Amino acid sequence: MLHGKSLRGEGIFSGFSMKQISLLTLLVSVSGVTALLADTPPKKIAISDFPAAAVQDVVVPVPSEIFAVLDKLGNPNWKSQLRDGKAQTPEDRARTALLLGNVIAEGFVAVEAEDSERVKELGRQVLTLAEAINVRKSVIARSKSITDKADQRDWKGVRAEFDGALQDVRGAMQELNDQDLSQLVSLGGWLRGTEVLTSIVQNGFSRDGAELLHQPELVNYFDRCIGSMGSRLRKNLLVSEIRDVLRKIGPIVNQGGENISIDQAKIIHDFTHGVNQQVVNGVN
Amino acid sequence: MAVTIVTVASPVQLLATVDDALSFAYEAALPYYKQGFSIRKDAWGGDLAVRDKKAVSSQLFKGNDYWFLMATDLKGASLSVHIYDDKGNLVDAESWQKGRFAGARVSPKSTGTFFAIVQILKSPEDRTPWALVYGYK
Repeated sequence: MLHGKSLRGEGIFSGFSMKQISLLTLLVSVSGVTALLADTPPKKIAISDFPAAAVQDVVVPVPSEIFAVLDKLGNPNWKSQLRDGKAQTPEDRARTALLLGNVIAEGFVAVEAEDSERVKELGRQVLTLAEAINVRKSVIARSKSITDKADQRDWKGVRAEFDGALQDVRGAMQELNDQDLSQLVSLGGWLRGTEVLTSIVQNGFSRDGAELLHQPELVNYFDRCIGSMGSRLRKNLLVSEIRDVLRKIGPIVNQGGENISIDQAKIIHDFTHGVNQQVVNGVN
Repeated sequence: MAVTIVTVASPVQLLATVDDALSFAYEAALPYYKQGFSIRKDAWGGDLAVRDKKAVSSQLFKGNDYWFLMATDLKGASLSVHIYDDKGNLVDAESWQKGRFAGARVSPKSTGTFFAIVQILKSPEDRTPWALVYGYK
């Protein structure tokens, strides 16, 4: 990710006037007919034939994408997944970035558990951790919205704010040329999300639930990200341990989705739980 | 609101026009936003020659519906986007192509890595800026 920018206004589309929208809608309508015939995609292609430069890296899914599926799979005991206590802000910037991602993912669990006090506490933690890595400004409004919407029990709204906080923090870091820390925020979120997901999968095992763990390219991507970080970060004890864990998880999630067993889910859970403990409490 | 564009080539002039393409891509996403799709702020972009293709990899989850929307700001250009699974099978549930806009929907039958294959079909210029966004619900 080489570029970040801000658009005006609160929503994605608010930078457009109605006149512009009408014009663009007209353009969509009138230019369609002739081009329809030109686009007949092949039924099968060889992905391996694409040169590496023509394949763009996977974009990390936002937590909402996974929680949207979990919503459809039943009603797990989310309260039992909530982590107790409040983590201290680390001095180590790498761990702070990982913890920030972790805390945002925890926010989703608190939303699922409909625990408004916990949601508000996590919203404040997001602000504190963002301050520690110089991106506080990017999440001030989000943090306030999280509190307001938690008070209103607007859970869908809170989810959107946590999603937005994650992306805003990453965008702000990229503007500061802190690509590596930005990736660690994503990684921290993914690790906590995977820990929770594997716990849920174990408690009410279903093939559909286990299939959510089938994320081979994502695991490889995080591994490559760490590999391309500066040597100081790459040699950070926690980051290095996380890379080891990713390499152990990789072959498991690389299997066909429906083939991930309850025992394999437990292995992934144990690995992610172990590193998340260190993200929260520091390296043993 | 922060928007992140994933782009391969990034000279300043190109970025300006990729940003314009992104505005059009979000415009193409507007109807789906109104249908309840959450549109990701992360976006892909770059520039391509006519008939050149690029594969954009995505982690998609069975149980969600996705729309991929692609656009360019270049008048007279047309482009396409289609979704393939990791074995190279076309998995579009539906798709459309309307001049400088294109879209493809996928309802993954399994969770895993998918590829949005983007292509410039015709263009008045050697290189055509493009941007791609996706939404899910």
